[in-house]
Amino acid sequence: MKKLIVLLLLTSLAFSAYKVTDILSFVVPTGWPTPAYDFTQNPLSTDKIALGSALFYDPILSRDSTISCATCHSPYSAFTHIDHPFSHGIDNKIGTRNAPALMNLAWSTSFMWDGAIKHLDMQALAPMSNPDEMDESLKHIVSKLQHNKRYPILFFKAFSDSTITGEHTLKAISQFMLTLVSCNAKYDSVLRKEASFTEQETNGYRLFRANCASCHKEPLFTNNQFENNGLSVDTSLHDMGRMRITQDSANYLQFKVPSLRNIQFSYPYMHDGRFTRLQQVLNHYTNGITRSKTLSKPLQKSIVLSSNEKVDIIAFLYTLTDKTFLNNERFAYPKNILQ
Amino acid sequence: MRIPILFMLLVSTTFMSAQTTRIIPLRFIPTYDRNHTLTEGIHLQDSSFYSNDKDSIEIRTLKFYISGIQLYMDSAIVRKETNSYHLIDASNEQTLSVPLTIPIVTDFNRLLFNVGIDSTTNVMGVQGGDLDPMRGMYWTWQSGYINFKMEGNSPLCKTRDHGFEFHIGGYHYPYNTFQCVSLPAYKAKEGINIYILLKELLSTLDLARTNQIMTPGKEALWISKVIKKCFTTFLDIR
Repeated sequence: MKKLIVLLLLTSLAFSAYKVTDILSFVVPTGWPTPAYDFTQNPLSTDKIALGSALFYDPILSRDSTISCATCHSPYSAFTHIDHPFSHGIDNKIGTRNAPALMNLAWSTSFMWDGAIKHLDMQALAPMSNPDEMDESLKHIVSKLQHNKRYPILFFKAFSDSTITGEHTLKAISQFMLTLVSCNAKYDSVLRKEASFTEQETNGYRLFRANCASCHKEPLFTNNQFENNGLSVDTSLHDMGRMRITQDSANYLQFKVPSLRNIQFSYPYMHDGRFTRLQQVLNHYTNGITRSKTLSKPLQKSIVLSSNEKVDIIAFLYTLTDKTFLNNERFAYPKNILQ
Repeated sequence: MRIPILFMLLVSTTFMSAQTTRIIPLRFIPTYDRNHTLTEGIHLQDSSFYSNDKDSIEIRTLKFYISGIQLYMDSAIVRKETNSYHLIDASNEQTLSVPLTIPIVTDFNRLLFNVGIDSTTNVMGVQGGDLDPMRGMYWTWQSGYINFKMEGNSPLCKTRDHGFEFHIGGYHYPYNTFQCVSLPAYKAKEGINIYILLKELLSTLDLARTNQIMTPGKEALWISKVIKKCFTTFLDIR
């Protein structure tokens, strides 16, 4: 009798030991705000992040297995699609908006240029189902993953359940995206007093704070709000921005304020990718503003900058480039899993 | 010796709990009107209804969320189901019956539930079970559950294959389509039947004019108010 009890106890212990996966805590950089993402609902673990990384890089998510998340969100360009104003998805179809860079998503309060998505977990559903992107349904993705020889094991490791669900699939993708934290640019080193700006960068920083920082708020370089930044309407697209979601004319032509971190490598710029160089962006703010009812308040007064001052601002913006983020092995294609 | 005692204890607790509570099924029964019921094995894809003006209407999909089920005795709440989210799918018989566990002593005369998903749950992280987005009741291009989905065909629709599609949802003010239904209901061993009179909805919708509502907004809000009126616990079958 005793033997049986001991045996039972041992098995249950072994079982519970196996079930405790290494729960990782999310590190908030010093001086940064509290993340918007509720980690208690999806606690990070090494196995879940690894699964999320595999899903992020695996074209199995698309209808014909040609497009992965990384197709339009490449790690070497801060997870965006450089050189393309609009990304090309399945069957070489072209979308209507510029693929955003993916970083510091734990602090984002909404997703997409118009804030259509309210929670990171639900974000991946949009590109999965968009007929111009992956053209696939979550239900069918789950069934493909279940019949794949690799994934039931990976899901078991991550969630102690080899029956794949939409919930677990989306939670794993979120976990990988949450790890994409960029906080080691020269700018951050300067704030930590480990480096110092050049004279030009110092002047650029001063000008940036005076003219740009109300929307591109430090340290994330976005205020997570929606603004009409005075771009002329592209009549071939007639993109009304945030108004598409709220159906409120007060939101006409408002788009989400993007972060400026790693901006040097995440061209082209704006929701429609109309600018390829930062010089063009600054020229827009000084000389190209289209005035309309919903124009952002800070832009209603003209911004005046000399060409030298623009060069200084750009020098400062380059200090937001985070090499440790762009070349991070942890974010790269998971060769050990996918090959 | 220890084992039989434990076993007896276990059995007796199960027995005791079985005595104090009872399961009452809430049965959702999609029907056309008070005269035409489809009480057994509803296979909507095989059945056509005829509306007033003899236009045949075929319903292929009828799925909706029921949430926050509550029982009342007059104005006092006597039972509130926890984690109460149910996806009712007319083509899947299992989903048409929601088992409610209530104490035997509890009596009630009114049933309350919501058609749809509350705004808090709409903006939360991904959920499992009936709320899993893979059930096809979550919009992909924007955040939010589809509270009510009806798809089918009618010769009145001048669309491809004469199809109509209603994906009714939206949780933002002023277009919040989350609707509360309050119905008289009495304790009966065999359960409570809740009929969904689709004629109410189909005759209000002018299918020739309105046949595709797939986004939140004014029209979705209007339709959600009509949907609310389709639910009834009383049915006179002639």
